Amino acid sequence: MSQPNRLKTGGRVDRSRQLTFTFNGQRYQGHPGDTLASALLANGVDIVNRSFKYSRPRGIVAAGAEEPNGIVQLGSTEAGQVPNVRATQQALYQDLSARSTNGWPNVQRDLMGLVGKLGGQFMPPGFYYKTFMAPASMWLTYEKYIRKAAGLGRSPTENDPDIYDHRHQHCDVLVVGAGPAGLSAALAAGRAGARVILVDEQEEMGGSLLSSRESIDDAPATTWVEKVLKELSELEHVTLMPRTTANGYHDHNFVTLHERCTEHLADLAPRAGGRRQVRSRMHRVRAGQVVLASGAHERPLVYAGNDVPGNMLAGAVSTYIRRYGVAPGNRLVLSTSNDDGYRSALDWAEAGREVVAIADARQNPDGELVEQARAKGIQIIAGSAVIEARGDKRVAAAKVAKIDIEGFKVTGPVEELACDTIASSGGFSPVVHLASHTGSRPTWNEELLGFMPSPVKGMTPTGGAHGVYALGQVIADGFKAGSAAGEACGFERQDASLPKVDERREGAAVALYQVPHQKATLRGPKQFVDMQNDVTAAAIELATREGFESIEHVKRYTAMGFGTDQGKLGNINGMAIAARCLGRTIPEVGTTVFRPNYTPVSFGAIVGRHCGELFDPERYTAMHQWHVENGAEFEDVGQWKRPWYFPRTVNGKTETMHEAVARECSAVREKVGILDASTLGKIDIQGPDAREFLGRVYTNKWAKLAPGRVRYGLMCKDDGMVFDDGTTSCLAENHFLMTTSTGGAATVLEWLEIWHQTEWPELDVYFNSVTDHWATMTVTGPEARKLMAELTDIDLDKDSFKFMDWREGKVAGVPARVFRISFTGELAYEINVQANYAMHVWKKLFAHGDKYGLTPYGTETMHVLRAEKGFIIAGQDTDGSVTPEDLGMHWAIGYDKPNSWIGKRALTRPDTKRTDRKQMVGLKPKDPSVVLEEGAQIVFDPNHAIPMPMKGHVTSSYYSPTLQSGFALAVVMGGHQKMGETVYLPMVDGQVHEAEIVSPIFLDPKGERQNV
Amino acid sequence: MSNAQQFDTRLVGEHAGEIAVESPLAYSMHRSGAPKAKADTTVTLRERAFLGHLTLRGGAIVLDEALRDVLGMSLPGEPLGLVQDEAGERSIQWMSPDEWLLIVPGGEEFDVERRLREALGDAHFAISNVSGGQTLLELEGEAAREVLMKSVAYDVHPRHFPVGKGVTTVFAKASVILRRPSEERWELVVRRSFADYTYRWLLDAGEEFGVGVER
Repeated sequence: MSQPNRLKTGGRVDRSRQLTFTFNGQRYQGHPGDTLASALLANGVDIVNRSFKYSRPRGIVAAGAEEPNGIVQLGSTEAGQVPNVRATQQALYQDLSARSTNGWPNVQRDLMGLVGKLGGQFMPPGFYYKTFMAPASMWLTYEKYIRKAAGLGRSPTENDPDIYDHRHQHCDVLVVGAGPAGLSAALAAGRAGARVILVDEQEEMGGSLLSSRESIDDAPATTWVEKVLKELSELEHVTLMPRTTANGYHDHNFVTLHERCTEHLADLAPRAGGRRQVRSRMHRVRAGQVVLASGAHERPLVYAGNDVPGNMLAGAVSTYIRRYGVAPGNRLVLSTSNDDGYRSALDWAEAGREVVAIADARQNPDGELVEQARAKGIQIIAGSAVIEARGDKRVAAAKVAKIDIEGFKVTGPVEELACDTIASSGGFSPVVHLASHTGSRPTWNEELLGFMPSPVKGMTPTGGAHGVYALGQVIADGFKAGSAAGEACGFERQDASLPKVDERREGAAVALYQVPHQKATLRGPKQFVDMQNDVTAAAIELATREGFESIEHVKRYTAMGFGTDQGKLGNINGMAIAARCLGRTIPEVGTTVFRPNYTPVSFGAIVGRHCGELFDPERYTAMHQWHVENGAEFEDVGQWKRPWYFPRTVNGKTETMHEAVARECSAVREKVGILDASTLGKIDIQGPDAREFLGRVYTNKWAKLAPGRVRYGLMCKDDGMVFDDGTTSCLAENHFLMTTSTGGAATVLEWLEIWHQTEWPELDVYFNSVTDHWATMTVTGPEARKLMAELTDIDLDKDSFKFMDWREGKVAGVPARVFRISFTGELAYEINVQANYAMHVWKKLFAHGDKYGLTPYGTETMHVLRAEKGFIIAGQDTDGSVTPEDLGMHWAIGYDKPNSWIGKRALTRPDTKRTDRKQMVGLKPKDPSVVLEEGAQIVFDPNHAIPMPMKGHVTSSYYSPTLQSGFALAVVMGGHQKMGETVYLPMVDGQVHEAEIVSPIFLDPKGERQNV
Repeated sequence: MSNAQQFDTRLVGEHAGEIAVESPLAYSMHRSGAPKAKADTTVTLRERAFLGHLTLRGGAIVLDEALRDVLGMSLPGEPLGLVQDEAGERSIQWMSPDEWLLIVPGGEEFDVERRLREALGDAHFAISNVSGGQTLLELEGEAAREVLMKSVAYDVHPRHFPVGKGVTTVFAKASVILRRPSEERWELVVRRSFADYTYRWLLDAGEEFGVGVER
């Protein structure tokens, strides 16, 4: 049997070509132009899913983004799995493979359905909360099974082979939706010369016009669509983006669009010209003006059994017939509260199918469409509605009865009409979702019976989103909105030359949401409000009875409008029901918040190309390639990749980190080592007031530092706490080179600029980052001088080039500045060369260094060596609560400097003078094999009852091959006065380590080794 | 301002020619390669390595005067401006109200700095040589703008980014100086340590356009 519901003619599908696809393992045929939903309906597939909570069979209801049931798992391969695809939005392609997201073992015979049927009344709202809460420890177990039963698709277990990306877009006018309003808005703004982006979520632009009965300029509406699209495509500054959903509307007209580039072609993006194509793309749009032409969603009526397959939106019925050439049944009953619903009956009749009757809730329906229906001899039952759909896996009959809307009751006898399809229309709800993303709550319009978008700066709603529904007016409204948006961006107003659209006389609609039943809502058969989340009218009534009066509470208690649905079909009806139950009006009840995203967005598009190797920048020094080729293990320091250690492999055995670090430490202490220190921040400071400025940002004195000399400095925040340290060299009287910690480079530069620009603009000084210009290599160890002597013309004599001097000269033929500063405590030369020459110098040092045992070392060895000397690392040994005095660095504080400096005032407060502050000390574990844990808490009395008073913590801790012992730096309350005392470090495993408080300088306390 | 140290790091001497000089992209080209342009390539990428980059700080009036003396060029007349000499070999870009980037042929920067310092005399200014710390990349071809749209948040539409404009902007998760010296060509001034990330990003962003690297 091939496509039994496919009409012989009509629609926008290409009947000359067949597409084969699979749904739940069964093969079907469709045509290009179909969506998965239209193809399923063409093939007479009634049940597309099982419902979320009650496992009821469900069929296609809608034809667009608002579809609550036709939510499928797409993909024929594991890697290509996509959950939560709306069948109504998925274009059909050859070999498409989809499954229902719910239903076990399958949608036709679902075991959970029994639970739903039998247990339905036992699963009121809050059921999960109430039933599965005790014991609390079991929730995770319960949740796993509830989740399995509930479904909602699954993510692939294999890596996605496709690529995704982002694009930054800017425009004057962003038009969301390419229906009649959006098209004419884009035309008006585009003709004015504005940069326009027109987006539409569907395969084709045209919106409602693609299935409209009306004519424009005496031709089918689609002719006008083609004409407008042609003109737009010829405008240079207009960008047309079909298959693109505006998903999020953020502050300042920043809108995120999700463009599906290849998802209409195949599971995975096909290659184009041998290259990978982007599968879907996130556009980040900054728009001057947004024209919201997102249209309106038809509201279904809420009646008993309204979820049985065969119940559909009236507009969707028309769309399937007119756009896809599919009549989704044979015998139709229409239940409507307005004229618009009649279109479905007319389309149905014209498709050669039987319209059994129209139940119109109005007492005297009299619009033009009503007359057309009468003229076709269709039976119209005024003042009535379908109060219940009969049937199990497909509608079998409609129960129709006279109703009293005001009194909310059935007033007449119930007539059962045999049919297989029930269309319903309760009017339209403007699609206010995007406008609501900005935080603006929509406003109820009593005349239009719908929520309208409230004003958002720079946004104009138009057409259906603006509550304008008559086609001629929609086009005019769109044009006006587009022209005004263009004008707001500085373009000329456009005079409308509107196409001719016949006016149609329309009868007034009545407000009908939930249809009364003979039985009270709580006792009668289920009337569904939100089909995706299985929320019934009874659930909402129960929630209000249980005291949930705020609509936000009702939403959370019942799950109405949750998740991927975001209340597209059900929310207004739900609010109306809550209003009825609470005896309030709909505006008093208000709406819930609609949140981004409007429809699901694949994670790939959110991530874009920020994944894998491009996840985050990796910053490299000029010697990076050498490090890689010499087997370095790397450590991330900020975004820098720094060599951590250089493990050697001897006889096929690679050193552990511990072994490598021990070897590297010994090399520096006994021979010579080399470190790539290029990542340290370097700031070039010039100006007659440079020296004065340094004196104000550093705690120590700078007045007398002569050219050729280097000084260590501590920087405090204004609270007196250390935040960075480094050396600064005097290059010339008015010229200094400051170094900062690797991580602090950008922060320190900003800090200097802030103080200069806001507090001391009178000081003549400029700061420029030269971090990347200079490559820095530290040659350090007892043999350093001998090695340097082979390669430099600088006089290395210890009396002419002393510790804390710098000299200019050549190293390996390259102009260099060499600084005698030491972070290891050994004789050290820090060589700065222009980075483009650095690799040459580095390699030359190795060419000459072999005979001296030159050993490259990484950050781990650097840490051990500096800690042995008690040199701090800002940010490791300090945490923003440590003063220079706490560090025992009184020598680096110039309280008697003529001008004040940052932190001085704070350092004279009583609190910073307390003697029981946490002060930096060294810790020597009693057991030398113990390496204390960094962060471990220190107590004075291990036998104290828990909680023990915590007296400090370990900030740095390593094993020292030189000391042949573990050692640590720590902060301890009043530590400076506790030398020699024993402290205790209780560990999580119950062990208690003992350590002695010692000086933080473990090696060479007089500094003789670095002064040689 | 007198009394600042100018450090001439030019390689001189008989063995200067033996010293290997590596641009910030040396490692990247080695590791990621440099795909050749194909028949359907719509964007090409080229590094212009080893140019002289000087950061100029100071007041616009004194700097403008000194630049006219030394190079016969004026500062750009307005913020976000970029000016070039006739040969297109020297350019000055506005960076901030008291900062400009001067790019000159490689090696010329030392002489230019010296002459500028002389011309500026006692005025308050600063000149920092940053030639080793950044490199210049050129993007050309009809898809160049699309590659940029994938990479920078800034609006690169010709109405908003005409020839003669330059900005500092976010590039993926780094930042670049982006400038438009001519109708067809875009330039990116990239910090050395971010050059590899930027290069890999550009190869990736350019893949769909068959990006070719000219060396």
